[in-house]
Amino acid sequence: MANNNTKNRKAILVTPEVCIGCRACQVSCKSWNQLPGIKTKNTGTYQNPPDLASAAFNIIRYSEVPSQANPVRWLFVSRRCMHCEDAGCMKICPAPGALYRTKEGAVAFDRDKCIGCKLCVNACPFDVPRYDEEGKVTKCHLCFDRIDAGMQPACVKTCPTGALRFGDRAELISTAKQEGFGTIYGEEDLGGLGSLYAFKDEPKLYGMKDDPAIPSSVIFWNTVLKPFAVAGLGGVVAAAAIHYLAVGPHKEEEEV
Amino acid sequence: MAEMVKKSSGDEILNHWILAVSCILLIISGYGFLFQIETIGSLFGGFDTMKTVHNWVGVVFILSLLYSMRHYFKDALEYDADDRQWFKVAGGYLSHKVKVPPMGKYNPGQKLYYLAILAAGIAIALSGFVIWLIQDNAGLILFAHLVHNVAFCIFIIAVPVHIYLTTLANPGTFRIMVNGMVPLELAKKRYPKWMKAAGKM
Repeated sequence: MANNNTKNRKAILVTPEVCIGCRACQVSCKSWNQLPGIKTKNTGTYQNPPDLASAAFNIIRYSEVPSQANPVRWLFVSRRCMHCEDAGCMKICPAPGALYRTKEGAVAFDRDKCIGCKLCVNACPFDVPRYDEEGKVTKCHLCFDRIDAGMQPACVKTCPTGALRFGDRAELISTAKQEGFGTIYGEEDLGGLGSLYAFKDEPKLYGMKDDPAIPSSVIFWNTVLKPFAVAGLGGVVAAAAIHYLAVGPHKEEEEV
Repeated sequence: MAEMVKKSSGDEILNHWILAVSCILLIISGYGFLFQIETIGSLFGGFDTMKTVHNWVGVVFILSLLYSMRHYFKDALEYDADDRQWFKVAGGYLSHKVKVPPMGKYNPGQKLYYLAILAAGIAIALSGFVIWLIQDNAGLILFAHLVHNVAFCIFIIAVPVHIYLTTLANPGTFRIMVNGMVPLELAKKRYPKWMKAAGKM
């Protein structure tokens, strides 16, 4: 079940403004999670690997957004699972326990329970879950194992500039506001994200999605079709029983 | 012993049982996935195995459904004035006092049921194959997921009605799916136009 107890909810606060794009977060994540390197090709950007992958739970997205004042402006955003309160992946998953909520409010996975249907990949508003070579789901799990041991997530621990901070979600939000960040991306989206972003500029500049939402077909399926699948079956069984008692079975002698 | 007429052939009966068993297995495992029901998963030996069973039983189901077209499809497309009258009296199901018009081999309820199952069956199979086999096309997979679940809703309404009407509601009908035979006297009452066409009336 969703962890609505925001008092205990932990989060990562990303402050892209102070990110220097060193990618230490990527390295420490690989190190802690024992993920292999990925062979990639230079496509004219420092962004590497090009996207999240089964061996890359987080990446730094590099956007070149030149402005009048700054003709060579690079924007860096550390990207990982958003740990939505209202998580599309968990909604659509058919295998109990394959995606689950940790007590810190993060969305973690149990690859032994994953059946490899890949529906979560398509229901995620942020295109986060990936499948490994064995067809099992992988993604950032907010280092729940480290948190349990009283440590910070690996990426946060290694970040040299404070662009990644970990802590109590409500506290992180109020700190960021005190620091003068006008937009806290993820404060309200999808019931509140577990990966928050503090911006002074438009989040869109950094490639953040406007109004992220669970796909409408998944919402319809969850709120209409699922209840109907129970009520419909119950209804026809009840209707048959009532018919049998009230009208009764067909009798031949009453036919012509 | 009373004279019997053969309503269903051997291959039709066998195919119908394959359809019935596969359909029910698919519905049960489908509920297991839809509501993450651990008990159903355990019945199939875990969710991973249940997924494999669901996929391959789905293949059996759609092949069997397509094969069934040779038994029912032609009849299911033909409707006459008596069929229209049949709807007006709701097939005589709501009251035994109404006069039900004479029927052919199948009544229009059965014919429409067949077309509904055929359409929903093809839709659920195609969408199932998309979910199973296609990768990296979120729009298509989400659409298939929706189609799969809408078709599922058609099945869980239509199939129990079909089972009820061919067992408890119409005693004697179930035997057709055992040996294919109907007593001639009963067939004359239930399928007069078919019997006339066959020269038995």
